[in-house]
Amino acid sequence: MENLTQNETLHDERSCDPLVTVQKMVNSCLQCGTCTGSCPNAFAMDKTPRQLWHLVHLGYTDEIFISRTFTLCSTCYTCTLRCPRGLPLTEAMSALKQIAAKENPKFYRRSILFYKNFIESVRRHGRVREAEFMTLYFAELKNPLVPFQFAHLGIKLMLKKKISVRFPSRGNHQLESVFRKVEEMEPKS
Amino acid sequence: MEENIGTALVVGAGISGIRSALDLAESGHRVILVDRAPHIGGILSQLDYQFPNDRCGMCKMLPMINRDSSSQYCLRKGLFHENIELLLSTEPVSVQGEAGHYRVALRKKSSLVSEDLCIGCGECIKVCPVEVPDIFNAGFTARKAIYLPVPHRIPNTFVVDTDSCTMCGACEPVCPTGAIRLSEREHRQFRILVVDDELIVRDSLKELLEDEGYSVDMAESGAVALERLSGQKYNLMLLDIKMPGMDGVTVLRKAKEEFPDLTVLMMTAYATVETAVEAMKIGAIDYLLKPFETDLLIPKIMGIYNEFEAARARFVDVEAIVLCCGTGFFNPADGKDTCGYHTLPNVITGIEFERIVSGTGPCGGQLVRPSDGKRIEKIAWFQCVGSRDLQNNADFCSNICCMYAIKEALLAKSSTNGEAETVIFYMDMRTFGKSFQRYRDKAQDEYGVRFENARIHSVVPEDGTGNLLVRYVDTCGKIHEECFGMIVLATGQRPVKGTAELAGITGISLNPWGFAETAPFSLTETARPGIVIGGSFSGQKDISESVIQASAAAACASGAILASGKSPMPESLQETVSPELLREPSRILAVVCTCGKSILAYTDKNMLSEKFKTDPEVKNVIFSERICTAGGWDELVGHVRKYKPNRLLIGACLPYMYGRKLKELEKETGLAASLTEIVDIRTPELRFSGENTGENQAAVVIEHLLGMGLVKLKHAKPSTAPSLPVTRNCLVVGGGIAGMRAALAIADSGYRVDLIERSECLGGNLRWITETIEGFSTQTLLNDTIQRIEKNPKIEVHKNTNVLASFGEAGLFMTTVENSEKEVQTIEHGAIILATGGKETEITAYGHGTSEAIVTQKEFEQRITARSLDPSTLSSVVMIQCAGTREEPKNYCSRICCTVSIKQALFLKKQNPEIAVYVIYRDMMTYGFTETFYTQARKAGVIFIRYTKDRKPEVMVSGPVPKVKCFEPTLGEDVEITADLVILAAGVIPELPAGLASAFGASCDTDGFFLEAESKWRPVDSIKEGVFACGLALSPRTIAESVATAEAAAQHAIRIISRNRLPFGKVTAIVRHSLCSLCRQCIEACPYGARILDTENEQILVNSVMCQGCGICASVCPNKASVIEGFSTRQILEVIDAAICI
Repeated sequence: MENLTQNETLHDERSCDPLVTVQKMVNSCLQCGTCTGSCPNAFAMDKTPRQLWHLVHLGYTDEIFISRTFTLCSTCYTCTLRCPRGLPLTEAMSALKQIAAKENPKFYRRSILFYKNFIESVRRHGRVREAEFMTLYFAELKNPLVPFQFAHLGIKLMLKKKISVRFPSRGNHQLESVFRKVEEMEPKS
Repeated sequence: MEENIGTALVVGAGISGIRSALDLAESGHRVILVDRAPHIGGILSQLDYQFPNDRCGMCKMLPMINRDSSSQYCLRKGLFHENIELLLSTEPVSVQGEAGHYRVALRKKSSLVSEDLCIGCGECIKVCPVEVPDIFNAGFTARKAIYLPVPHRIPNTFVVDTDSCTMCGACEPVCPTGAIRLSEREHRQFRILVVDDELIVRDSLKELLEDEGYSVDMAESGAVALERLSGQKYNLMLLDIKMPGMDGVTVLRKAKEEFPDLTVLMMTAYATVETAVEAMKIGAIDYLLKPFETDLLIPKIMGIYNEFEAARARFVDVEAIVLCCGTGFFNPADGKDTCGYHTLPNVITGIEFERIVSGTGPCGGQLVRPSDGKRIEKIAWFQCVGSRDLQNNADFCSNICCMYAIKEALLAKSSTNGEAETVIFYMDMRTFGKSFQRYRDKAQDEYGVRFENARIHSVVPEDGTGNLLVRYVDTCGKIHEECFGMIVLATGQRPVKGTAELAGITGISLNPWGFAETAPFSLTETARPGIVIGGSFSGQKDISESVIQASAAAACASGAILASGKSPMPESLQETVSPELLREPSRILAVVCTCGKSILAYTDKNMLSEKFKTDPEVKNVIFSERICTAGGWDELVGHVRKYKPNRLLIGACLPYMYGRKLKELEKETGLAASLTEIVDIRTPELRFSGENTGENQAAVVIEHLLGMGLVKLKHAKPSTAPSLPVTRNCLVVGGGIAGMRAALAIADSGYRVDLIERSECLGGNLRWITETIEGFSTQTLLNDTIQRIEKNPKIEVHKNTNVLASFGEAGLFMTTVENSEKEVQTIEHGAIILATGGKETEITAYGHGTSEAIVTQKEFEQRITARSLDPSTLSSVVMIQCAGTREEPKNYCSRICCTVSIKQALFLKKQNPEIAVYVIYRDMMTYGFTETFYTQARKAGVIFIRYTKDRKPEVMVSGPVPKVKCFEPTLGEDVEITADLVILAAGVIPELPAGLASAFGASCDTDGFFLEAESKWRPVDSIKEGVFACGLALSPRTIAESVATAEAAAQHAIRIISRNRLPFGKVTAIVRHSLCSLCRQCIEACPYGARILDTENEQILVNSVMCQGCGICASVCPNKASVIEGFSTRQILEVIDAAICI
């Protein structure tokens, strides 16, 4: 059982609560479930998108940030397209990702590293190089068991030539200036 | 007197338009009813089954009093009323003037088929080469360019769809009566004369203009042109300036002298501009420099043509305009989310489903897929397609889709013996009307309709089967995939095509979504006095709401007519039958129409005539042509004058068209209309046409029919058309807003009203409400209304007064009332309106009464008004919906509580944005345009938690503040909310004591609300004539909706008290007391409650006003003591004899 009284502190500190921005995004949600019915990744999520939005309504910060639902959002924008209320659901997912990374980096370490290394590969080559990206990711995870979990999938993808096996390289830094500019523009935190 | 009779224009002849027109006509106004469609009935003409009994019932709108003034048969077929002029295929094109006097231009679109001549034989459709989808069958079947708009229309004349007709002319020669006149096409009637000396110019212009549809003639010189002008009327002359012989300017001058109205357009290549300007001074409208572009010429001619068109419009002077233009539908194929509509054949809309199950539909009423003829085993309804959808700019609910989806699901069940699996995917099931909730529960529990709370986005076809796959998430968060044979989309409302144009013409305003907007606290009044709205034009409504609003619109229009100084038609004089007539031997004149391709043209007229004349009572037999036309009728009147018969038999087509004519005949010649019989000889002719033996058979049948008519006429008794005197005032019980507005509507029409209020002041529930959700001040409304009541000399207010007893019937009731000083008074009145209102349910559930912090909506409102509650001190408020209603024994939706909760939630959020507001609800009933406030509340951060009735929230009051525990279905777990304040939506209960209702002969339904005569078609009437109800006593409703019912009830009461005498129908039941054994079977059998037992005199009495002449009493009576006038046993038996022997 949840006790809302615990969350009353949350109401009092609304102004500095990062969840408020997300609440504003999804306030007029009717709980119709179109997003969940449409989401290609919903099967793998611990909370359905509909549940997640309702948790945001209710301000259940704790429950939201032990969920991995938003980390599984692949930004396909299907829900945003289909929402009858026209809500920016994909943006709301991204916002939750950012809050999670900031507020609970330890819990979301794997997701954070996944995104970080994904974008690192893009930064180097202008696209993701799967083998390099996974190597970087595994290296940073510092857990020798993890690569084995992915071995089966990796071999399958390799046999189907979905992954080009190339050694990591520094790349040609053509996108470097773009990334730097973005870093400058992003608010320091 | 004739010129002082008021006229109203009713635009739109759907059910609202018909209701408004009939209401106005019945209260003595003249009505012009127009519709742009070639048939009446609007969308209802396509719908065969109506909630709740799967029947039509439109005919129940027909007049019950003075019913002989109107046709008395299926309204889907046609409407004929003495005071109503029906103009089909007609639209208003301009409205000038102001309140009390509007001049409206009406334009009729020619159907290119003469209604007088068309006999509906259908020869034309056999030759028409054009096939287009039939809109009547939602495009499932094809029709020709010449077609019957609806299969059941009377008269069944064909019309030409000028948009798809290629004007090939194939139908014209095959028409046996020459009814088709393609040349009548509007453009063809615009004749242009091209005058130019150069052949090439003339030819090219003629070709160009004829392609545009105009009629074009040519003249090669000025002299020829003038000759042509004198031989034929032209609307436009295109005139070259430089011509050998007579030049253009001279021709112009001469032409203008003779035909000053002729429009002339000059053409010039070599002449100077000065010459052209000179021509314009003489009267040419404009000039064109040759060589000219067609793009320049065509719009110029179009402009002149439009003026010509406008001038051809018919102008009518009316005192009021009622707009009943209906509503349109969202087309899913145009939306962002099509659900596969138009790409997958088995995804259809609600209206298409109605056509599939209709007997006149593409599948003959079988529930099969039109695409492949397969039986449907599983069928789904998707709600809110194009409604409640911000992506499609539809922040509104469409009101009726939930109920029609349930009805369609039940239809699917009943047409498959319950085998079809039916699923309704919904967001909120909006069963907010009277009896809707029980209907839904019955569908779910008894018939097994599955309700799935989910919204589905996409539909995927299953390979090869035509079935459809959908994916949705249930309330528990589980994702399902399901396959359906057919998917029905409940498409939302959109403004009907042409709304913006009509708003421009009439000067009314539109709401943000383009629907007609009404004044605060009114569903009918617009910003322009005298122009009112009826039915779905201001947002989609179900049948009962539409007819309530249409009657209310009629009341407002009637008020505007009377305010302009016009008066209702004087009552027609009493028909008196001289005693000599009863003694006179019959002298029958038989007139038989032989027009068109009548079968009688082939039979031996002499033989037929001789046969008739073997009956000594038949004095003359005459064969005539086209009795239906004015000329034919005059001929008939001449025969009547010549032969002076006292009974008249007419064999013709369309018998119902003759009502008015027969009355005129009676006035002119003294031949009683009740002693006239019209036999339909057209129908058998049509039935047998095309068969080999058809003509002979038809002739035999017609002979029989005429014989039957003759026997019937011989035994007809001259009717005395009795009537009852009327006490011309009305009693209104209840001084709330509904009662006050009903009283005002009647008093403003010039009749006296006694307004009874049991408390010491007027106002009812309005006294504790401050503001509506829209922000309108209810106190201003209350004060204005009370002032108007007090100033009105026609209204007598009896405060602190109760009704003791009442007896009587429509026309004269005697009611005894008693005031607080125990003074008893008896009031005589002609009609009664029960406006006793309702109140908030008293509840003990959810800890109400145990804590100061648990209040009802009313208590909250009162505390806010009294300023005993400060929103800034609150941090958390919980509202619990459906706290007192929507489950047995009060299983109905109170309709207003959801809106009130939203209003209060928005108020709290506005006063103090920090308050956490939780609304715990079952289905949010923010129907219609209040949906937008629901969205606002969501945006303001109000949290909504759904519950079901088997898992209700609990309120615990152990600590200092209550705690609310409820199951949160989305999360699948219980939550506990600490609330500073719990507001309970207790719901509405009526305050209509059963004793009071029965004192007036009305009754209450299971929930204590006023029981209507018919929930859909007669929503404010009681089964007992002369007793009406409005406001909360009728059903829960908002202030504006209560006002609408009040105006509707007032209008219905005015129908009675506006007369000096109430005329009965000619066909009514009588009792032969000597034969009557007082078994009372007839009292139970009478569906109109028209019979009572007079215990004093030991007699069964028939109320002739209420009796509708149905004849059930005559068939149940074991002693033949109950008789229907005009249908005596002897007469009927002889008619049967005439039918079977020859």
